[in-house]
Parts: sequence; C-alpha cells; structure tokens
Amino acid sequence: MTDIQKNVEPAENKDLGNSSQRFMDKPIARDMLPIIGFAVILCLFAVLTGGKIIQPSNLKLLLSQTYMLMIASAGVFLVMTMGCLDFSQGSMLGVSSIVICYLSSYSIPLAILGGMATGAAIGAINGFFHVKRKIPSFIVTICTMFLFRGLCAYLTTNSPVYAVGDIYKYNTLPIKLTLTVVVLLIIFFAFHYTKLGYNLKAIGAGETASRFAGINVEKTKWIIYIAAGVITGFAAFINVVKVGSVTSTGGNMLETEILIALVLGGLPISGGALVRFTNIIFGVLTYKVLSTGLNMIGLTTQTQQLIEGIIFVIVVALFSDRKSLQVIK
Amino acid sequence: MDEEILRAENINKYFGINHAVNNVSISFKKGEVHGLIGENGSGKSTLMSMLAGIYPIDSGKFVLGGKELKIKNQVEANRMGVSIIVQEIGTLSGLTVAENIFLGNEDRFVKHGIKNTKAMVKEAQKLLDQYGLREISATAVIDKYDFEARKLIEIVKATYFHPEVLVVDETTTTLSQSGREELYKHMESIKNEGHTVIFISHDLSEVIKQTDRISVLRDGVLIDTVESKDVSEDDLKRLMVGRELNDRYYRTDFGTPVSQEVVLSVKNVSVPKEINNVSFELHKGEILGIGGLSECGMHELGKAVFGASYYRSGDVALADGTDVDSISTAIKHSIAYVSKDRDNESLVVNDSIRDNICLTSMDELSTKNIVLKNRLSEFAKKYADLVSVKMVDIGQFVADLSGGNKQKVALARWLGKNSDILVLDSPTRGIDVKVKADIYALMEEMKKQGKSIILISEEILELLGMCDRILVMKDGTVNGEFTRNPDLTEEDFIAKMV
Repeated sequence: MTDIQKNVEPAENKDLGNSSQRFMDKPIARDMLPIIGFAVILCLFAVLTGGKIIQPSNLKLLLSQTYMLMIASAGVFLVMTMGCLDFSQGSMLGVSSIVICYLSSYSIPLAILGGMATGAAIGAINGFFHVKRKIPSFIVTICTMFLFRGLCAYLTTNSPVYAVGDIYKYNTLPIKLTLTVVVLLIIFFAFHYTKLGYNLKAIGAGETASRFAGINVEKTKWIIYIAAGVITGFAAFINVVKVGSVTSTGGNMLETEILIALVLGGLPISGGALVRFTNIIFGVLTYKVLSTGLNMIGLTTQTQQLIEGIIFVIVVALFSDRKSLQVIK
Repeated sequence: MDEEILRAENINKYFGINHAVNNVSISFKKGEVHGLIGENGSGKSTLMSMLAGIYPIDSGKFVLGGKELKIKNQVEANRMGVSIIVQEIGTLSGLTVAENIFLGNEDRFVKHGIKNTKAMVKEAQKLLDQYGLREISATAVIDKYDFEARKLIEIVKATYFHPEVLVVDETTTTLSQSGREELYKHMESIKNEGHTVIFISHDLSEVIKQTDRISVLRDGVLIDTVESKDVSEDDLKRLMVGRELNDRYYRTDFGTPVSQEVVLSVKNVSVPKEINNVSFELHKGEILGIGGLSECGMHELGKAVFGASYYRSGDVALADGTDVDSISTAIKHSIAYVSKDRDNESLVVNDSIRDNICLTSMDELSTKNIVLKNRLSEFAKKYADLVSVKMVDIGQFVADLSGGNKQKVALARWLGKNSDILVLDSPTRGIDVKVKADIYALMEEMKKQGKSIILISEEILELLGMCDRILVMKDGTVNGEFTRNPDLTEEDFIAKMV
C-alpha cells in the first residue's frame, strides 16, 4: 500500500509543477462545479420526493430558512478567504439574538444596532486573540464558541427570552429577501471592487508575501473579524423576526452549517485566490436543498448527519487547494 | 583503480519550464575525488540532490555498483551507501547532537521498542572524539553550536558509516581553514578506502587541488569531464561560462562618478543575533553591494532597510528624515524590496500574476476606492511585458512559473510602483544565465534613471561586476568596503568575508 502511494508521488509532483493538467486547478472547473452540484442535488431530490420539493409552497419554505444562513455565511466567507476560520458564529448568533430581543421592546432600529454591536464585540474578541496574541483562529473561535454558548445558556436558564410581540410584522418575504440581497450586494462589491477584497485573497494565498507587499495583515484581519460579527449580528435580527424568542440552543450548530455550506459551494478551505463570490450563493442553496430534501424523504436526523458528513468530506477533498493546505491559520 | 562505482545515465529534471538538468551522463570511478563545478543554477546541486534522494528524478537513472539506485529519501540513500553534506544547514534544531548524527538510524539503539539514549550518546561521543571534535558534547542541543560547528557535526553524520559515495556540496565556503583541513582529511581517507567523493565548490583552485577529475556543468548540460592535473583555473572558467557570455554580462564602465546626494542613511542598526551596529549611506544613482557569507547578517539588513525587521534598533532614514519603521512606510516612500525567499516573501505564489504585480500599486490603481479589474489587467500586462515574463496570460498563477520568471514578476511589481530605492536580495539566485543578463541590464537602466539599488548577494563576481561600492559583512558587522575597480579580485573579497 505505502509502496504504491510513494510511487505515485513523483508523478503528482510533476503535475503540480505545470499544474494546468490538474483538473481542479482549471478556473472553469472551480466556477462550474458548484453550479452543477447544485443542479444535480436539486434534480435528485425533485425525483426522490416525487416533485414535492419544487412545489411553490415548499420552495417558499426553503427560501425562508435560507436568509439567515445566507447572511451569516457571507461574513464567514470573508474570514475564510483570508485562510482563517470562525467557529463562533452560532453562539454569536445566540447572544446577539438575546440582545435583540431585550432591545426590541424599546425600538426596532436600536435592536438591530444592538445585535450588530454585540456581533462586532465578539468579532473583536476573536480578532484580538488571533491577531494580537497570535493564536490560530480555529482555536480562538472554538474557545469563544464555548464561552458565548455558555453565556447564551446562562441568560436563558429560567425561560426563553422573548422579543416584543409585534416583531412578527417584519417576517415577510419582501423584507427578508431585500435585506439578504442588500447584504450580499455589499459583500459582492467589497470583494470585487475594493482594495480590501484583493487584499483578502492575497492574505489567504500567502500571508508573509502579502505583508511584504505592504498589506497591513493585522489590521485587515481585525476589520474582517469585526465585520463578520456585525453581519452575523444582523443575521440574528432575521432569526429573531422568524422565531420571536431565543432559547439556550439559539444558533446551535450554525457554525457547522456555514462551514459545510461554503465548502459545498466550492470554497477552498485554505482560502486564497481561488475563492469565488458565487461560493456563498450556491453553497447555501445546495446545503439547504440537501438538508430539506433528506428531511422530506423521511430520513432520521442521525442518517441525515451521516450523509451530510460523507458529502462534506468528498467535497473538501475535491476543492482543497493542496498547494497551500498547510497554511490554514 | 579505474573501476566504475556510480554512473548517471541521461538524467533530466524540470522545475516548471526550467530544464534544470538536461540529459546528464557522468561516470564516477572507485577511489576518486570527482569535482563538479558550474555557475550557480547550472544544475550541480540539483543533480546531487537527486542522487541523494532529496528530489525525485524526472527521467534517467543512477547506477550504483551495477544496480539501478532506487531511493525515495536521504535515509534510504544512506543505507545504499550514498551520503550528502548539503549546502544549507542540514541539521535539525531542537534535537541533540547525538540525535542529529543518528537521525533516521535510531533503530540501531532500539530494543523492544525502547530507545537506549545512553548507548546512542556514548556512540556519538566516541565518533566526535575520533573526528577530533572533543569540545562538542553529544548530549547538547545542536542550537548551542555555531554554523561551522554544525557543519562539522554534519560531516560526522555523513561519513561515520563509511559511505561508498559521499557528496560534499559547497560546504567549504562556510568553513574556516582548520574546518576545511578536517574535511579534506576525511575526503582523503574515504578515497583511500576505495570509496568515492563528489566535491562541489566555487573555489576553483581548491577544486583543482583536491580532486582527481572534474566535470563541468553549464545550464544543466554536462560540458566536459577533465583530468584535474591537466587544467588551469582559466580553462575551467572558460568551460563554465562559455565564450559568448564573457563580453556582455556585467557592467563594463569603471570610474564613473556617483552623485554625492544621499537618499538613504542607515545609522547604528542592530538586530539581536543578526546585525551588530551597521551604518552606511546610499547615494542617488548608486548600486551598493552588500556581500559576505550567507549567515553574515546581510539578508536581515535588507529586511531592516525595508522596515520588515521586527527587532531592529537604530535608524533607517530617508533624505527628508522620514524614519522607515514599517513595510507600509517603506513602500509609501518609494522603497522596494525583493526578498531572497522568493516563494514566501517576494511573491504570493498561489495568486495570479496580475494580482502580484498590482498588490503594491492598489492605491494608484483605484479611483475613489473603487478598483476595476480591467485597469489592473492593463497595468499588469504592461509591466509583465516590459520585463518579458514568459506566461500564458496574466491570470496565470505565479506558482506555475519558473524561478527566473517568478523573479521577473517580482521586479515588474516594483517597476510598476516606480520605486526610487530598490533593495534586491539575491535577485539572480537559481536563475538561468539569460534571465540573469536581463536582470543586470535592467539594473543598469534603473541606475541611469537615477534610482538607487542595494544589491545583496552571495555571488562575489556579481557584486564585483555590478556595484559602485561594496560592503563586506562578517558576523553581523561591516568588515570591509571596496569601491568599483577593475583590479578588484575575489581573493581580496574573500579575505574580508571569512
């Protein structure tokens, strides 16, 4: 076994040398595969559910579950472009939702701002420990995940925290869709038409070289961690609008859902120049169709997780940029 | 003794599109010291790295004692009787001297799954004593010793098991005279045992004296194998460089005065363990060389000038008094830096040629903070073409380019930024002669435009050929200064650096 693997190595190295041969390095493959993947999954479940999943009522339901994940993923997308990770999103969403619920009885704009500020504060904590204390981002954010998950549980020990009753009036398709599109447009613009967008990709592709090209890597990381917090704080508003209250499990597993969605969308786990904006859109849609579809064909939660896990591993293996995999920060 | 021990057969190696070793066949005899010479980047180290299992061979084979040598790493090479002392540091820090010597061969001291450290240390110390290195302790962590001592430990590591073929790759430049004598002695004894030594060095007189035969490589091709007793240094130089390059390669002007205007002054700059109190001034339109051994602190000095040295003390100031204390300050004030570490520092290799060229000029390329891709593409194309980068298009990733073309991209970036002060650290390292000539021509052109260049290099000839003034560094301090002069020789230079 080991002999065979070793014999393969030189050939592989040669391929990396003039890697135009490697299929996954072709830009077209990276651009098209997520779209094809989405289409395949959609068709598959359309068949498996006997067309139920593409009925208007189900599509509407699917869409209503997508907004929050879409927005939160957009923030993590920026973090992951730099080759960093963020596991604190779920607990961040939980804590921000609690703040929004508290403040919603005073004023809705105040509640939104409060939620975003809470996200920003948690993002700043992530940024501080990652940038200033130089701790790898996945360790920092796993720590903050537990910390704020704990806080979330503490604040909701006695009873769920309820938002003001009439917050449901914002739970309409036009409002949520508009807000989601606005957030995505802002991210799209920042990613494609600003220096910051180019800097993010460069940092993901090579942090040291970026520093030597004059990019203020530390400052950029701070900004992005805080921005991701703000965006998730905003996603928390969409969450509260939909459910009206927060329990101790508010936002549970969101970080994993984001990670799976982005990777399904073709985002290389080490970030860098191969990242595409469309990774967010197709990733989230594919994930949602997949999880809803698995649910609709009547699989148990355990089986669903098993299948999602298998798909996740396959996609990671497919989209990893092996040349820079060792540099996940 | 004319019996063949090792034969290289039609060996090829590519790095990207760079044909580093081109169909090389050499026969090595039993009981000889065989010299291998050639300019930097001529493929000698690459060839030997393939022999020692450090790089895989693209095509061709090595035949050792009649059997094809099939190895995948250095430890296997050792077991087959091939051993190498590499150019760079070959010891692992954090391990003890004994652990370094027996790296990969710990099994000898393992019984029932447990390593007998005591036996290993005892054995290592015995070897060190045999080699006359009594002052080195087998139990000490290797980091305690300086560069030279570590090289001596490597010699022990590479020779204690009496290898059939020993490769000595540019080891002597880093050793003092007594260290060299020690090495020669071991080469001699290996030869007397009927084994073979392959000796790589830039010091031609040393090569002639220490070897029996010499093979010359140029641009990856074997030019000739000659008897050492029949050749002179000049013969070898001619074989190495080839006639056609001699005329136009380096600068040919001498005695042209340099402007008195100071554009950058470095005062009492120190970096712990690297640089000790270095001061100099850089003039407008000057090419200032900084040379020395690799570990002399010159590479760190380049970083310090660019504001990239974290622990720097002392001043790096521009003519208007601006203190260069960070990379962004340096770039803002027209300082450019091309690092020796091309793949990690100079370039974002996993990114496109376009992004690499544009990264430092983003502010100039954006209007009201909006960046348009078309404009970046135009800009990148212009400067990539200016230095004639061989590429598919500007969207191609830098990682796919050869060393020379990567370096061109790095230079294109700073040409685009139109920097006035350029710090070039080993700009021609591992680059073929054609691109080298291009880079030298570019430097001359920039000098004519009134730009100032600091050229940091380990290649003495390059410094002598290109610089108006050269500082020689040793152990972190400036140990000598030369002004451009046709009579300056390598010997003058080496005397100051070692």
